[in-house]
Amino acid sequence: MIGRYLGFLALRGVIRLLARLIKVAACVGAIVMAAPVTLVGAYAAALAWVLGWPPRQLYRAAACCLPMLAAWLAAMAVAGDPWQRLAAAPYLAWLAMWHDIAAGAWPLAAVTIAPVAIPLGLVAGGLGWSWRIYSMETGSGGLSPSAPAAFDQRQWRHQVRAARARIAAPGAVPLVLRNGNVVAGATIRSVRHPALPLAAIPYPRLRSHQVVIGTTGTGKTTLLLRLWAGFMTRGLQLHAAGAGRRPLLVVLDCKGGADSRRVAERARRVLRGAGAAATAIWPDEASLSLWALPPRQLTTTLVDMIEHGTGAAAYYADVMEEIVRLAVDAPCGPPASAADFLARLDAGWLSMAYAAAADGGDVALLRSASRHVGDIALRFRTLLRRLGGGLDGPGGFGDADAWYCILEGTAEITVAEAQARALVDLLAWYATDGAAGGTGISGTAGAGGSGVGGTSAAGTGGRREILLAVDEFSAVSRRLPIWQLYERARSLGLAVQVSAQSWQGLAADEDERYRVATTADGGIWLLRTPHPEPVAALAGSRRVVDTARRLLGVPLWAHEGLSRAEGTPVVDAELIRALGVGQAAYIYRGGVTYIQVKRLVAAPAELASPVAADHAGVRPASQVASPGVADRSAAADRSAAAGRSAAGGGPGQAPAHPGGAQRPGLADVSALLDEAFGKEPP
Amino acid sequence: MTERDISGLLFAAEMYGVQLDQLAIRLGVSEPRARAIAQRWRQQGHAESARLGPGRPWVWLTRAGLTACGLPYQPIPPALPRLAHLRAVTAVRLALEATSGYAAASAHWRSERRLRARMGSRVPLREHVPDGEVHWPGEPGQAAVPWAGECWAIEAELTRKTVRRTAAIMIEILTRTGDYGCPAAEARVPGRPPRHARVLYLCSPAARPTVLRARDALGGALAARVEIRGLPPGAGLAASGAGATAAGTTAGRAAT
Repeated sequence: MIGRYLGFLALRGVIRLLARLIKVAACVGAIVMAAPVTLVGAYAAALAWVLGWPPRQLYRAAACCLPMLAAWLAAMAVAGDPWQRLAAAPYLAWLAMWHDIAAGAWPLAAVTIAPVAIPLGLVAGGLGWSWRIYSMETGSGGLSPSAPAAFDQRQWRHQVRAARARIAAPGAVPLVLRNGNVVAGATIRSVRHPALPLAAIPYPRLRSHQVVIGTTGTGKTTLLLRLWAGFMTRGLQLHAAGAGRRPLLVVLDCKGGADSRRVAERARRVLRGAGAAATAIWPDEASLSLWALPPRQLTTTLVDMIEHGTGAAAYYADVMEEIVRLAVDAPCGPPASAADFLARLDAGWLSMAYAAAADGGDVALLRSASRHVGDIALRFRTLLRRLGGGLDGPGGFGDADAWYCILEGTAEITVAEAQARALVDLLAWYATDGAAGGTGISGTAGAGGSGVGGTSAAGTGGRREILLAVDEFSAVSRRLPIWQLYERARSLGLAVQVSAQSWQGLAADEDERYRVATTADGGIWLLRTPHPEPVAALAGSRRVVDTARRLLGVPLWAHEGLSRAEGTPVVDAELIRALGVGQAAYIYRGGVTYIQVKRLVAAPAELASPVAADHAGVRPASQVASPGVADRSAAADRSAAAGRSAAGGGPGQAPAHPGGAQRPGLADVSALLDEAFGKEPP
Repeated sequence: MTERDISGLLFAAEMYGVQLDQLAIRLGVSEPRARAIAQRWRQQGHAESARLGPGRPWVWLTRAGLTACGLPYQPIPPALPRLAHLRAVTAVRLALEATSGYAAASAHWRSERRLRARMGSRVPLREHVPDGEVHWPGEPGQAAVPWAGECWAIEAELTRKTVRRTAAIMIEILTRTGDYGCPAAEARVPGRPPRHARVLYLCSPAARPTVLRARDALGGALAARVEIRGLPPGAGLAASGAGATAAGTTAGRAAT
């Protein structure tokens, strides 16, 4: 009995061995017979592995080969082959290939089979690569327990390398695609988003609220510049086609300092390349007029710019608001400047102004609150002095296509908060009424503001497509109710893009952070940050298959195990923490695309002008880098430097034409001046 | 209201206010006659006059006068601290207008008050507005003067500023490309021709060295566009007395 049982076991073993050998032989035979397809498939899968391509890339390549197959069949049909022969063409080509190989004609064999083998091979490679990815993702593949994790890390490296190569290729990453989508860079990896080589954002998403989070040195500014340039370019395209309003970009850089000014200059050059006619840098080169606000809004803004407490201090806040209202709503009209406003914060002035008023209530109010007027004037005098002249006009948002506003949030937080509050109020007013009511530049009120070379909204009287970008938002988040703006921005035609260095820097408290992040319907950009979990959680989770397998012994798996579906986060927080410079995760609608951001190369900085052109104040257009309001000091330096070079000497040298003698390019006016003012002493 | 009256009213309005001796020069009449004319303007409610400082009485336009002239200015008397400056600028204007080239070229003066009015009440705190502009119409080579088509900025310097500040003002004027009151983004646009072909400084003896040094500090091309001359006789406030009218009368004769 035992002998028969042992014989049965041996027979079963032999049969299994034979079956396995037959199976292996059949597979090898099939591979050999389909050698061309096998070769192409293996090459395609290896290429996809090296470049980190998704299988879809191979399928797309196979689809691209179909015209070749169609042309081959069409050529056979034109040659007069019957349809039966056409149907059997792949088989016949396969036979012919082997005959050619047997005859030693390898190139001819390759050409003969290529129309069939290449598409089939790509599809086979795609299927094989897809199976490999699936087996590793589910944990059912690999020889060791660490194989899936190692595979993922290796694939990430390959994908990053491919994305970097793509953005390095000249012309491979345009700013705007033909369909109008704005390209942020090359796709590294995507989850629940289409796996396309280029990561492109539809323009409407740039017209929606967005959040950008990333620590210093992660490429946040590069990303923002690209998004701003894309917004400007596409917006101008639509405007030129009559399909949209002219774009207006307003950047609040709440960090301040020399770094912000460098970024502002870079932004100006980039936006110039994007088509912006003028970029104004506030407050260094251009100003806005707070006094252009309608009286009621002006009162609210002025009061909100002053820090006042609660409790007992609320009484003084009410008194202050009433006094400010009286000063702003005076019968002679609202104040036109800071000096005008401060002059009104005087009990005598207010009494005179309201002496003839029919409403006795204001006079009574003034009488009771008159002893506080001096204190209120002192507070506003201090505030307006610290704010500087940037809000004292002239100027309005309609004067330029882009405004880069620098707020000294690092050096003077309270000033930056007040400035941010005033600027946002001005912009909100401009978005609603300002476009129809003027920008605050005198003489242009009622015309929608004056335009830049006829390019602003002034000419059309229409509103603008406005993107408000608040960089380093944490510096002003205490006083700037950005979420309020968020919630009413849609009706204003205003999109808000908030950026911060961390989740905590997004707003003052957790509730406000979530309000800002969850209303970012244009997507969230996440760069490297040490605490990405709250944002990553907003992307949700997805169902994946996880497999537990039996361990044969360190480090090998057995082929037996259990698989079950479970939820895993869409955004891998560890991956976010390890992102490199210039890499970003774009989270939108429960999916994420990891992007290698393409840096926009701005036009070179303004060069010193040629002597002959500059002395007349005219520079070649090719050297005009910025169309906006020139930096007074920088322009002065440049002009002075150019002037010195024109004189052929250094700063210490005497001018070439002292005393108003004959000047190159300028007519001699000495005779006229002698006649009017007498001859000059020698 | 004669043409001379209209011209005088406009002149007084543009210059913020004018002293009686300068008004006489402008109108081309004697001083007693100018006084009578100013008295008539007062009776009509178009002007007001008072002795605001040293020298002759000042005449300035009332709200009714400004309205009659169609000028959107604030009806305020000349500010006391600016009296000397206003007189100097008026003297410069009279001297320039008295030249043969000015009339031949049909040049015209654009006053600081007009420039500020274009900018409205929201004149930026840091912006410098010249004391006047002289526009020389026409095309170069086709007009009476070779500098036709140019626009000059006029600066009357009585007191001494720092060299740095003076140089900054010179650069600001010479690099400006847009008109006053234009959008902020157009004020200085690289690549566009400058608004002012040159700036003409009329200096008191005290201010002259500073202005010269400031021009030297600019160097080369910009400095070449800065003209510096002394203030004309009779430009000083103290000189508005009886002994200072000789040069002014000469200019007035030329103007008439």
